[in-house]
Amino acid sequence: MASRLIRQSQGATKIVKQILSTDKAEARRRVLNLYKAWYRQIPYVVLNYEIPGVTVKDGRVKLREMFMKNKHVTDLRAIDFLVIRGQMELVETVNIWKQKNHIMTWFKDTWNPKPADFLSKFYEGN
Amino acid sequence: MATLLKIWPLMGRRILGNPAACLACKSARTASGSSDQPEVELFVNDIPVSVPPGTTVLQACAEVGVQIPRFCYHDRLSIAGNCRMCLVEVEKSAKPVASCAMPVMKGMRVKTDSEIARKAREGVMEFLLMNHPLDCPICDQGGECDLQDQSMVFGSDRSRFVDMDHEGKRAVEDKDIGPLVKTIMTRCIQCTRCVRFANEIAGVEEIGTTGRGSDMQIGTYVEKLFGSELSGNIIDICPVGALTSKPYAFTARPWENRKTESIDVMDALGSNIIVATREGSVIRILPRLHEDINEEWLSDRSRFAYDGLKRQRLVSPMVKDASGTLVSCEWEDAFFTILDRLTGVTGSEIAAIAGGHADAESLIVLKDLLNRLGSEALCTEEIFPMDAAGTDLRSNYLLNTQISGIEEAEVVLLVGTNPRYEAPLLNARIRKSWLHNDLTVGVIGPQLDLTYEYDHLGDSTKVLQELAAGTHPFNKVLSSTKRAMIIVGSAVLQRADGGAIHAAMSTLAQNHRVKSGCDESWRVLNVLQRVASQVAALDLGYKAGVQVVRDNPPKVLYLLGADEQTVTKADLPSDCFVVYQGCHGDAGASMADVVLPGAAYTEKVGTYVNTEGRAQQTQVAVTPPGMAREDWKIIRALSEIVGQTLPYDNLNEVRRRLAQMSPNLTRYGDVEEANYFKQAEELAKSVKSSLASDALTPPQLSLKDFYMVDSISRASQTMAHCVAAVTKAEAK
Amino acid sequence: MLSSAVKFAVSATSRTIRCLHGSAAVCSDKLFVHRDTPENNASLTFEFSAENKKRADLIIGHYPKGHQAAATIPLLDIAQRQSGGWLPISAMNYVADLLKMPRIRIYEVATFYTMFNREPVGKYRVQVCSTTPCVLGGCGCGVIIDALKQKLGINVGETTKDKMFSLGEVECLGACVNAPVVSINDSYYEDLTPKDIDVIIDELKAGKVPKAGPRSGRFTAEPASGLTTLTEPPKPAGFGVRKDL
Repeated sequence: MASRLIRQSQGATKIVKQILSTDKAEARRRVLNLYKAWYRQIPYVVLNYEIPGVTVKDGRVKLREMFMKNKHVTDLRAIDFLVIRGQMELVETVNIWKQKNHIMTWFKDTWNPKPADFLSKFYEGN
Repeated sequence: MATLLKIWPLMGRRILGNPAACLACKSARTASGSSDQPEVELFVNDIPVSVPPGTTVLQACAEVGVQIPRFCYHDRLSIAGNCRMCLVEVEKSAKPVASCAMPVMKGMRVKTDSEIARKAREGVMEFLLMNHPLDCPICDQGGECDLQDQSMVFGSDRSRFVDMDHEGKRAVEDKDIGPLVKTIMTRCIQCTRCVRFANEIAGVEEIGTTGRGSDMQIGTYVEKLFGSELSGNIIDICPVGALTSKPYAFTARPWENRKTESIDVMDALGSNIIVATREGSVIRILPRLHEDINEEWLSDRSRFAYDGLKRQRLVSPMVKDASGTLVSCEWEDAFFTILDRLTGVTGSEIAAIAGGHADAESLIVLKDLLNRLGSEALCTEEIFPMDAAGTDLRSNYLLNTQISGIEEAEVVLLVGTNPRYEAPLLNARIRKSWLHNDLTVGVIGPQLDLTYEYDHLGDSTKVLQELAAGTHPFNKVLSSTKRAMIIVGSAVLQRADGGAIHAAMSTLAQNHRVKSGCDESWRVLNVLQRVASQVAALDLGYKAGVQVVRDNPPKVLYLLGADEQTVTKADLPSDCFVVYQGCHGDAGASMADVVLPGAAYTEKVGTYVNTEGRAQQTQVAVTPPGMAREDWKIIRALSEIVGQTLPYDNLNEVRRRLAQMSPNLTRYGDVEEANYFKQAEELAKSVKSSLASDALTPPQLSLKDFYMVDSISRASQTMAHCVAAVTKAEAK
Repeated sequence: MLSSAVKFAVSATSRTIRCLHGSAAVCSDKLFVHRDTPENNASLTFEFSAENKKRADLIIGHYPKGHQAAATIPLLDIAQRQSGGWLPISAMNYVADLLKMPRIRIYEVATFYTMFNREPVGKYRVQVCSTTPCVLGGCGCGVIIDALKQKLGINVGETTKDKMFSLGEVECLGACVNAPVVSINDSYYEDLTPKDIDVIIDELKAGKVPKAGPRSGRFTAEPASGLTTLTEPPKPAGFGVRKDL
């Protein structure tokens, strides 16, 4: 797939076919649009899904958190990809194609990171 | 009946009358085409094939990849030819021919799929099913039943047996032949595989065919126990559900099982097994083909002791509290308790004992940890004489000739061992060789029923001296052959004069090698180990025997699955702190201050080196129960707690360390041969100790002693039932 | 309509062809496993009498070393005779040990041959042949069996209370010319009538040994109506030979 998208130019540099955005500004606009769309939708999400203990404010905090998680991404194609995914999630959420537990997984407080060192792995049981 | 009598060896050793029968038993040998006669060419379904004369039509068909259905024929048993399922058409023959018993002839044109052959099979199948109950839904063989499979492929789609008058099918009462094999004799199709197995392989002639015609039945005639250490194999060879496993009865269907190919650790042979698991527990163990070790058989202990894996298990770490009872705790608590006790203890005050089921990985990790703590006192429970070359030369403690070497040997001398119960499959090999290759067997030790005839040389150590000096009459027998084997049981090497016994046998073996002018690659001296971990432990430099611990009573003693009570509380100072790591709550755990739950052999990937020096690995079939962990990981974790972190975090790194210590340990499947017999013998001359006068007696004398020898089999109810059944049978 | 009728007819015929009725397996009335009873269990001892031991040794001696198993049947026969016409388990075990054979091999032989009785039988084993020639020949075996049943007061397969007589039906005894035939222990009684049965049984009861052989006055198996060939005296030597020789 990738090889098809990468076109070898005459010189040494590779020209990559864009997914959506042609430049950084466009990508930024797309991200902000997605953010705004989600932001407006959150009251309805909270209402529709009735997640225990999650208020509209919590939802917006979570939204910001999830966007900020990817703030290090600079590759336009990667950004576009994330935006597309975010849109898909939004559509699924709005149409209630998702179920309660799908939304709840975003608020997993008890999710412990997997142990990395030998001793913690041992105590964990593997 | 007449055919059967002709072919079966009725008593003792007899050369099988039928050339095809001989061939079946020596298939390995004839495969090499050693005979001088020209090969016979025949045509199977018009495909030409050349085979040595004496080959059966069935085997010739197998050569070209044509599988003939069969019930009574079995590669490793003599030919009976009574099921008639293997009928094929041979051109110019008036009738269909039973291919299993028909030797090939020149220019034969065999048709295995012609109308006649198909009709014949269908007819045979119809007759077999006429008196076979249609109880597949409640039959344990269902799903792995030859009759079921073959009736699907070769049978008719309906039966003409309609039973209009409700006279019923033939019915035969069930037999009680012990706690391992369940019999539903109505299902029996009288293939007589079990009878031939008992006669030929197991050497326990207790099963036969009684009655005649439609009354014929398989059984023991008088109700009695089938007292063989290999009895479980008749379950495997039974093509129908007549003989099934009692402990496995109504447990699972074969297609529901998850199968894991693993290694057995119940004796030192390292038999290849398949561990069948379902819903996270081992539900049965079956043999896996390995021509050089267990062929396709398995001893009863290896096959049936698996229920011990679910009982008496250590499932959480335990620490002894103030009142002296072991209390369950977390891993950290157990580790820090050990750390507390280790602080202030110098390296020389720490010792470790490894038991019979320890895998090479945990052995190396334990050794590295103790060495880092400054201790060299690592030993195994099994004693091996350390005088002279001791365990420095591998040739001293291996079964150098290998198990399959027995089939090439002409004379075998068994010294202080009862292979029948110490290594049943080795004994089956000796019997096989005795039956078919004219093997001469000499025994030094008590006179026991080994299932073959032997020259009993007495049980005193004087015989050893005479043999070593070359003055015993048996020396003549030895000098008459270039292929002699001396198998010394590791049990007699446990004695105080073990060194002298080993030295005497080493001298005898070396003298024989020199005098007989045998091939340089033919080894004579063999030691038959009894426990699975011993060879790997000695390869890794463990000291054999717990004398070290007795001489320098340690402050901290680490038991790695050591349950044989070679060191008891009485041998240790009262303030000695005992750590037990292992899978079962047995003798070792009961004397421990801290118990660390380990994994049993079905629950870990572990390296075991069998008595031949063949490295093999077990695989994980189920996860360890509760908080139990793989053994090497426990020690590795402990090393981190005590501040001596060992430099490996995963199995590959441990294996790399193993290979560093002894490269043969990770060459899986290969036998690493040992050499330096001459040097060993020269060093043996320096042995100071002299032979004691007590008789050379191995510990397992009767079938009763066979079943429960280690922590797993001691925890097994099935094995307890066996002991009870044998005791009852003996009392009769 | 027509086609369905044809179909039905065809399926009906095919069914009749398919449904061949096989007769049920004919099973023996004997058990082919051993059950301990007070008079037949392994704890009882059995040993050849000195005379029989000598016989046994002689028989074993006939066979080359390593092939003593060949003496199984004769030895079992001696054992059966010694223990009153039947073969207790202890006798089988004794023979097995004597021949150094696994016991099961002896059991296999003893259960295979119908003339080894593994349960106690009467002193006189009356065996009536009930194969076709004996059914048809003379008065027919049916009459003989009825006569025996009446005389002894037992059914086929039973033994009298005083353990004197066992009555059995057997297949061809190989004396078809002299039908009907009854064998009592080792003797054949031939050309029987119900009256002969009375006589024979009475004699046996009285402790006498009735004369074996045909009861019709025949010597052996010659034609009942007198000789039909070889009636004239034999020709002298040289009869029918060329003159010039």
